Amino acid sequence: MENIANNDCSCCYTKYEINDLFCKTCGFPFQGTEQDQKNFLSERNVKEIDLESLNEKVATACKSLYWLSGLTAFSAIVIYFSSAGEDQLATLMTNIFLILSFLGLGIWSKNKPTAAMITGLSLYLIIILLNAVISPMTIVSGLIVKIIVIGALIKGIKAVLEVDKLKKELNID
Amino acid sequence: MEQEETPRKLCSNCQNEIAEGNFCSKCGQAQNDLEVQIYSKKWLSLLQAGLFILIQLVLCICAFLIQETSITITLALDFAMAGTAMAFFTYNWSENKQLLRWPNFSLKKLLAFVALAAMASLTLHFIANYINTRLLHEKFTYFDVYKSHEYGRYIMILSMAIFPAVFEELSFRGYLMQKLLIVVGEKEAIYISSFLFFIIHLNVLSFFWLLPFAIILGRIRIKEKTIWYGVAIHFIFNLTTCLVEFFSIDHFLS
Repeated sequence: MENIANNDCSCCYTKYEINDLFCKTCGFPFQGTEQDQKNFLSERNVKEIDLESLNEKVATACKSLYWLSGLTAFSAIVIYFSSAGEDQLATLMTNIFLILSFLGLGIWSKNKPTAAMITGLSLYLIIILLNAVISPMTIVSGLIVKIIVIGALIKGIKAVLEVDKLKKELNID
Repeated sequence: MEQEETPRKLCSNCQNEIAEGNFCSKCGQAQNDLEVQIYSKKWLSLLQAGLFILIQLVLCICAFLIQETSITITLALDFAMAGTAMAFFTYNWSENKQLLRWPNFSLKKLLAFVALAAMASLTLHFIANYINTRLLHEKFTYFDVYKSHEYGRYIMILSMAIFPAVFEELSFRGYLMQKLLIVVGEKEAIYISSFLFFIIHLNVLSFFWLLPFAIILGRIRIKEKTIWYGVAIHFIFNLTTCLVEFFSIDHFLS
């Protein structure tokens, strides 16, 4: 019964039976032409490269949550020492809450990047919107930083969704 | 002993039996097409949820900005929020209609939830009252807005207990959570929707009760697969606040 002896798939190294036309794990065409097999491998390689670059985008977006925490801390210190009045304590409390929130989301993003980034982006956009309502000129201040952070988070969310999809396509857990 | 038969998995393309793996060994067809398609829907779901939150937030900011709050303005904003909730909920009717069923109704459970909600509301009311009067030296009552009207009390119950209970549950534990469940897992959907529920109330101090309250409602919604327990809890929680205010006013006047 040597015929049913197990062989290794040349793409994913899973064992297969000699009667199989395609790999059950990755879909590699065992009985295809050499060209078919090359095309399959190159397509899979492209997807794997995409996966790597998407993972980098996710990592950048996760880091931006720590950056947001740092930036909020910096602006909180500046606001605290440059303003006085009844609202000073309330502003400080709100800023401490925001610093801790972004920090917590940054830590959470290591395990649950999608959820952390969605929450972080929502919180950041809500802060910008509220600040703009209270004082419209705040929308212009630090505009480049805002665009970079929002861009990184949106790209990060899209990337993490794409990563999940690619993993499903490539059958990677 | 009769052996239990495991259901046979057939290829979606050639009907060949698939014992293991995600690809058919005969035709090479991927068997997780449906899952891949669901992943493609995720971004769209997020955009829809984002638009919904944006509209809700704008309405909340309007309420926050209007200095001279009157019954008419309050009710107009309530109806606008209710309309938004209904529109989004019914737009995805096929996904959401299951939440309006009450599959495992239990009167005991309902009464227990309602009793706990009333006790939690009472406790919170007294703590908030203590902080306001003793520490912040402020006297704040929701009834101020409604007291000028002949039916002020009924309108307050409508605006503070019935509308939020029905439409906030429909919005956050209904539409929003259902959208988030397409994108993330159950726990994350609970946390995100609860966080947004807290943020939309535009009150940092409410972090200590609104966030835990929303998380509990979210967990109940996921566990029981219905929004109705949440509606009942939310209604009793808010109604208790209204009744305590009425009682305090009557007591004070007499």
